[in-house]
Amino acid sequence: MQKPVIVFDQFCFCYDSQQENTLNNINLTIYEGQKVLILGQSGSGKSTLIHCINGLIPFSFSGTITGSCKVAGMETTHASIFSLSQEVGTVLQDSDAQFVALSVEEDVAFALENQAIPRDEMIPKVKQATDKVGMTDFLKQVPFNLSGGQKQKVSLAGVLHENVNILLFDEPLASLDPLSGYQAIELIDQIHKENKTILIVEHRLEEVMAKSIDRVIVMNNGEITFDGTLESLLRLNILSKVGLREPLYLQALRLANVDYLNRNNIQNVNKINLDDVKDFVEKFKIDKQKSYDFDCDLLLEIDNVSFAYEDTNVINNISFDIRKGERVAFIGKNGAGKSTMAKLICGFIKPDQGEIRLNKKNILALSIREIGEKIGFVMQNPNQMLVKHLIRDEISFALLQHKLSREEIETRVNEALKICDLFSMRNWPVSAVSYGQRKRITVAAILALKPDILILDEPSAGQDYTHYSEIMDFLDTLNKEYGVTFIFITHDMHLAIEYTDRAIVFADSRIIADDTIYQIMSNREIIDRANLKQTSLYDLANKIGISPQRVIQYFIQNRRSI
Amino acid sequence: MKNQFIINLVPKDTFIHRLTGKTKVLLFISFIFYTLISFDLRLLLPLFIVTFPVLKSLKPNWKVVISLFAFIFFMNFINLIIYWLVDPNIGNYYTNSKNTILITLNTHYYVSLQTLWYLAIRHLKLMTSFMVSLVFILSITPSELAAGLYGLKVPYKLCTIVSLAFRYIPDISNDFDNIKISLQARGLELDKRRLNIIKRLRDNIFILLPLIVSSFDRIGTIANALDLRAYGLLNKRTYYCEHEPSKYDYILRYISVIVILLSFTWIVSRLIWVPSTRMWYPFEG
Repeated sequence: MQKPVIVFDQFCFCYDSQQENTLNNINLTIYEGQKVLILGQSGSGKSTLIHCINGLIPFSFSGTITGSCKVAGMETTHASIFSLSQEVGTVLQDSDAQFVALSVEEDVAFALENQAIPRDEMIPKVKQATDKVGMTDFLKQVPFNLSGGQKQKVSLAGVLHENVNILLFDEPLASLDPLSGYQAIELIDQIHKENKTILIVEHRLEEVMAKSIDRVIVMNNGEITFDGTLESLLRLNILSKVGLREPLYLQALRLANVDYLNRNNIQNVNKINLDDVKDFVEKFKIDKQKSYDFDCDLLLEIDNVSFAYEDTNVINNISFDIRKGERVAFIGKNGAGKSTMAKLICGFIKPDQGEIRLNKKNILALSIREIGEKIGFVMQNPNQMLVKHLIRDEISFALLQHKLSREEIETRVNEALKICDLFSMRNWPVSAVSYGQRKRITVAAILALKPDILILDEPSAGQDYTHYSEIMDFLDTLNKEYGVTFIFITHDMHLAIEYTDRAIVFADSRIIADDTIYQIMSNREIIDRANLKQTSLYDLANKIGISPQRVIQYFIQNRRSI
Repeated sequence: MKNQFIINLVPKDTFIHRLTGKTKVLLFISFIFYTLISFDLRLLLPLFIVTFPVLKSLKPNWKVVISLFAFIFFMNFINLIIYWLVDPNIGNYYTNSKNTILITLNTHYYVSLQTLWYLAIRHLKLMTSFMVSLVFILSITPSELAAGLYGLKVPYKLCTIVSLAFRYIPDISNDFDNIKISLQARGLELDKRRLNIIKRLRDNIFILLPLIVSSFDRIGTIANALDLRAYGLLNKRTYYCEHEPSKYDYILRYISVIVILLSFTWIVSRLIWVPSTRMWYPFEG
């Protein structure tokens, strides 16, 4: 008989600041040693559920609790957050902010320090914990020199030495590049084998599915709408209804009219039973007419550009062109040079060598402000861009700085508000709108300047599938109807496949590939070199024995025609 | 994000770096106290000279150290000139001796031997405290500082504030740079060549709002991260970086205590024996 470790019984929770329950009538029993995935879009209550288990509710967030929640036999309303921390370890989403110490070993030792454990007992524990996550070679490193994936491993090590039995992961993939994300999933799987109970909160189903999952819970509007195996979840075909992305290989099969719902093992692209299906080549038929062919005017030319930071080459002799109306993805691992390239294009930094031309004119001599009129940059975190109280003022801010006439400002602001579907909210305070809408405001604020190119840094970060689709579809409209050229800096492979035509791949301060998105995504060597990860479309192609390029191109053509 | 401070985050491997945080903090307190108690060349000069080989033993980045030294030296020098401008007769008061005038500029401004002596000793005193602080800053990591303060019975929540500040200030300064650049791209002119200082200061305020908002987001996460790892559980805590003291630690801790005691003795004896003398002046005629 399995032992229950987390038991919710008729549990409801309402934050003091809110009118309605964030968690409603939760009945849930999780057994020892289970690996559970909790899916749901933003605001579905999945993070709140995690906070109820680790004790942050009611310790740090006050609210009204009814019903009962028992973790390892303790009723969380009575147990202290400290006694819960002996049983439950939590790895938070923001791997940078939760790194509180100034070196790897001190951060791992932090919980031990707080329990006043003598130093000679700490040392072996720290060593053992860092061994488990493979960070022993980095003990003395400072957080400023670590990647997001490494910081996350340190956070995991920081809770592992406690011999906790329950581990909670709050969106472990949010800030990682695809390969690091895959490694994180592998590491979680490895730790699960030590008979730990594991809960992963995510909305990126496809990436988490790379390793087996015992049980999936889907949350929607504060309630549990599904609780069962992954296989039965996929069979039910309800993911899109709760705002989640269906795995790409299943989407592709559906587009190709292959009935997959009643097959065995649909949760694993390599094991799905498709033996009786014939003529895959015919099913994945590519429309030659629609193939990608761009011969519009040259817009941006990067000519032999190099840039060094503190004697290290960050950009090494790079050249490429961008044409009017293109949608280009800059992809590659963190630190490969893609963000630096964007900063060079925007004039935030000046190249040591080479030329950057916009509409055939060299822009190196222009100031940041002058370049900003032609090339717009939208930061990853909208909160870092918003400076005004009202939405309208935020959008007119840049225009006022450029001293345009009153009428001109009026027309441009209204135009930008209308394009971005913000006109009805124009007099709202910026602080009253959601994260996704703030992102939209930042895009509107830049659009009002009528730039030739928009560069967006990680536009999908921090957003669930519904909000991601919303903002990306909107950007796509700008591209189609207004001919705006886009550069996306991203490590989201889904974004690259779904919304760009061409990818420029950065690795070790050089460009290692510059080609159509389906060529890049089907090139194993390039994907590996750039720390990226194949999507399941690639695995599907191998499984059914046709070229990955064909499957991806088919997917792109048909997905967009929907 | 590169670390732009002159402080070390990772301890180097020299004799002084190997000491514990507590010893380093104690040594610093005792020698700063020693510097502050007097205007006496006989006390200041030996310490000033000793700090140089000690500084060398730390294997610092000389380029940074020398420019910092030159900067402090120059700023103090300007300070001295202002002292002289305010009161050319200041040495007379401190040395308690009749003026020996060397150069006369006009009826008000003149250079006396006593004032020169006073200003020279004052400069030496400031440079000595600078050197002691420099050695301290170069020898300690922020974590050791926190651990050392805790070792001297400072409440650990204050110590944590010290180490958290060093952890997050570079992140915040990075955010500041990013926000500034994005505002410039939207047309805000922050170029110092094109604007007067008042308008520039006013426009810099625009950076603060997003900086505060994004910093508050971060603070929320940090608070959760601390709570989840049982921070604040007990009234005491231990420090991973505070290793076992060696015999040199004990010797140097005793020396610090002796320096503090001697300094007190010095103050008391001066008050009892020679209460009217403000500084040691050898050229009494």
